Amino acid sequence: MRERTNEQWLADLRGPNPDEALADLYDLLVRGLRAAFGGYGGGLEANFGDFAQEALIKITGSLDSFRGESRFTTWAQKIAMNVALTELKRRRWHDVSLQELFARREAADRGPADTQLTAEQLALQNTVLGELRRMIDEELTDRQREAVVAVILEEMPISEVARSMGTNQNALYKLLHDARKKLKRQMEAAGLSAKEVLAVFDEG
Amino acid sequence: MLKRDDVVKLVRVVAETREIEIGCDECFEQLDSFAEAELSGVEASAAMPLVRDHLDKCADCHSKFEALRTAVRST
Repeated sequence: MRERTNEQWLADLRGPNPDEALADLYDLLVRGLRAAFGGYGGGLEANFGDFAQEALIKITGSLDSFRGESRFTTWAQKIAMNVALTELKRRRWHDVSLQELFARREAADRGPADTQLTAEQLALQNTVLGELRRMIDEELTDRQREAVVAVILEEMPISEVARSMGTNQNALYKLLHDARKKLKRQMEAAGLSAKEVLAVFDEG
Repeated sequence: MLKRDDVVKLVRVVAETREIEIGCDECFEQLDSFAEAELSGVEASAAMPLVRDHLDKCADCHSKFEALRTAVRST
């Protein structure tokens, strides 16, 4: 592949004959995808060409947004990694319904207390648990509660939860940030320090 | 809805919450610069603390960063 400066990449891709630059960039993206996801298995290798192609379309459609703060090739690879990871998560999680997830949680045993606990420790845990449940129920909106359960407690990818909730990843992160800030303030107001709570739950 | 086993996970995440955090879009905008800085041995976390903080909190963005770092290193 011919070495190019950022300016040369932009000029070649915008010029009248972009084919050579497009082919070089395609090869680079496929090599990057192979390096990043080569070990995933499951026949994923067969998709690298498609991912690179989709990324090329996004890249050439958004050249104006490249601000030159990194090498052009790093910026382009960032877009290819995003394409690949979005698709990987979609495949992994597309069958998971948030409503089913919530229903399963409700039906599940609430987790027995550790039988090794003393009566005093158990009472402390129950008090803290009750306080935290109250904060979640009373202070968070329904959507914040859903997001907390799916992303923080169930560890689903935020992008997939966003898709299920009809929003986007950035908006959901901000919604979760607001929820975390509310809970932090509530914990402070209730005199619950994280350190003490973790100690009560034997994780300090 | 909050189970006994959830408490530690939730409280850890809440404790790490800062008043100012950047979102996924802002993190993604800077991810290429951050990855290059890190790969070149510059203390990227010190230069771009909000990106570092976001990557520590957002598993989705962290996986993008890991993939990008691997790709750039090998090409």
